[in-house]
Amino acid sequence: MSNPALPGRSNLRRALSSNGALLAVIALLILLVLVGAGLNDRFATVSNLTNVFEQSAGLGLVSLGQTLTVLTAGIDLSVGSMMSLISTLASGLIDGDLARAAWVIPALLVLAAAIGGGNGLLIHWLGVHPLIVTLGTGTVMQGVVLLYSLTPTGAMPFELEWIAYDRFLGLPIGATITVLLFVLVALMLRYTTIGRDVYAYGDDPEAARLMGISQRKVLIFVYAMSGFFAGLAGLYLSIRFGIGDPYQGQNYTLASITPVVVGGTMLTGGRGGVIGTLFGVLLVSLLNNLLNFLQVSTHLQLVVQGLIIIAAVSIYIERKRGLA
Amino acid sequence: MSARTLALGVAFATLASSTAFAQGYEGVPRTYLWNPDVEVCFKDTAEFAKEGPYTIGFSNAGLGDSWRVVMQHSVMRAAAENSDQIERLIITDAGHDDAKQVADIQDLVSQEIDLLLVSANTQQALDPAISRVMRRGIPVVMVDRRIASDNFVTFVTASDAMMGRMFAQWIVEKLDGEGNVIMLAGQAGSSPSENREGPARQVFAQYPGINVLETVYSDWSPVKGKQVMQAMIAKYGEDIDAVWSAHGLQTPGSIEAFLEAGYASDDIPIHTNSDVNGGLQLALEHGIPMLEVGYPPAMGGVSLGVALDVLQGNPVPCIYEINAQIAVTEGDETASVKADLWVRDMVVADGAADLLITGGMGPDYDPTTYSVDYPN
Repeated sequence: MSNPALPGRSNLRRALSSNGALLAVIALLILLVLVGAGLNDRFATVSNLTNVFEQSAGLGLVSLGQTLTVLTAGIDLSVGSMMSLISTLASGLIDGDLARAAWVIPALLVLAAAIGGGNGLLIHWLGVHPLIVTLGTGTVMQGVVLLYSLTPTGAMPFELEWIAYDRFLGLPIGATITVLLFVLVALMLRYTTIGRDVYAYGDDPEAARLMGISQRKVLIFVYAMSGFFAGLAGLYLSIRFGIGDPYQGQNYTLASITPVVVGGTMLTGGRGGVIGTLFGVLLVSLLNNLLNFLQVSTHLQLVVQGLIIIAAVSIYIERKRGLA
Repeated sequence: MSARTLALGVAFATLASSTAFAQGYEGVPRTYLWNPDVEVCFKDTAEFAKEGPYTIGFSNAGLGDSWRVVMQHSVMRAAAENSDQIERLIITDAGHDDAKQVADIQDLVSQEIDLLLVSANTQQALDPAISRVMRRGIPVVMVDRRIASDNFVTFVTASDAMMGRMFAQWIVEKLDGEGNVIMLAGQAGSSPSENREGPARQVFAQYPGINVLETVYSDWSPVKGKQVMQAMIAKYGEDIDAVWSAHGLQTPGSIEAFLEAGYASDDIPIHTNSDVNGGLQLALEHGIPMLEVGYPPAMGGVSLGVALDVLQGNPVPCIYEINAQIAVTEGDETASVKADLWVRDMVVADGAADLLITGGMGPDYDPTTYSVDYPN
């Protein structure tokens, strides 16, 4: 796709494509707030918008990791099962005891990253599309968690509830930490070698190989990140709910892809970034909130979300063709 | 004070059974009359009293089964009937997703509701969010599905524990204390399922001859109920003597699984049922011994009446139980379980299989076309 002979033009195109998408999603976000404010006078209040921000944290974390796999033209369909696994193990092992949380939580985050890294390694070894590999490992994880418990089990220590519900200077703590993680990952993608390798590999794996970029390293890195953030999302939600649930992540696998696509990251890899995803997450959360305010049926909310994905994908494909 | 609330209970109980169908038990809940405690817990709600008309938020766990659809219609109808006191009833549907229900509740609070009516998807996961609503001073009335803690004003239900126990005791006595039971539960983690399973297990545990082979979850769906029972039949076959079903929604699916596996009518294990016409129809058609204990979706409307009581500062019972009618197939009463009426008198023989007999919505009610003009 990219022409190594014209690096300048390639960068320009990339910048236009991702910034254009970013501007589009920000414009949509503003439009949604204005429309909502016109429809319901309690919608655009600080208290409601802060709520929406708070509600976006779980989806934000899992979509953050997903963005990295999509940047390599991959996908991670195991994130939902990963959330279920980590949340249920956490709640079951900690069982309300804060002292145990101190070692269980870090251990489970390492486990999540390791399983994720294993996904990357499998994709590299087998040469099979990530869709199939992660569908398989996701199914295995769902099976394992159900063997561990069929029902919500154990308890998360209530002393941790502040992460999910409290505010610092008026900002919800969990969501604010999530935004900081987005910024951190954005900086890492931009300024570290591995970050630049992710883009180069996603843009053209063959060219990346010729440049000496290790496919194995890139794949392990992005899937480990995806596993880690899915695990973190699972932990965050189990703290928010006070308990882990073996089906907690069920709806998150596909939901995690919506903000990535809406935020302008191309499914073909190499273009886009996590900041677009962040605004995509806010857009999805705000839209669900507005549909709630308008008392729109939950089922119609799903229809609207699906249409947005299709619209986003088609708009960005058009943009790419136009600029190519 | 308690007399007034009890009178209300009777009024609603009558409403619940004022259908065109055969009448059974119409009095106050027996769980109240037979309660051996000298003092029954009542809650003073003076602190929540305020001037109407009120904005009430109803956070529903989902509309994932036909019982929940009728229950929500019952809430809407009660809101229409009380439109002089209600400015708005805002309904959200969490689609059986805990995360969405937490968000729904926060969204309702943002809309400055005076009271939160809520049916919690799962009893643990919604606890922190709902407890916070109470701490903000907004009264919470729970209906059908409670949270694990007591951080609410009252919980409108038809006694899950009593149902679970009665189902189990009837099975024990029908089997003369010897036999194998499959527990066909509802949605894992939801209070109506957990709070029927636990007491039932306690009953079964007292009889060493009773063996609970397995507990399986139907998600209150006839289709899933059938699938999981097919798996149980493949695994245990003729060893299954009884199916303890946590509600009637999954009972027809279970019976169909036995029929399709080639069971003769006489060999189908005894079943329990609630509310759903199809289970009763199949029991009569195939001569399957059945115990029906109602868990009426009419409790939706009752809960809205209770919500108005709270907002007017009237005391309410800490757990607001509505009566549950007991029906048994003829000849299948046991020492402990006597019928208010026979299944044959309760069934709507020519009615739809998925009809909820105890909905209290009147004879012309059709859930697929129902609409009512309530303030929203």
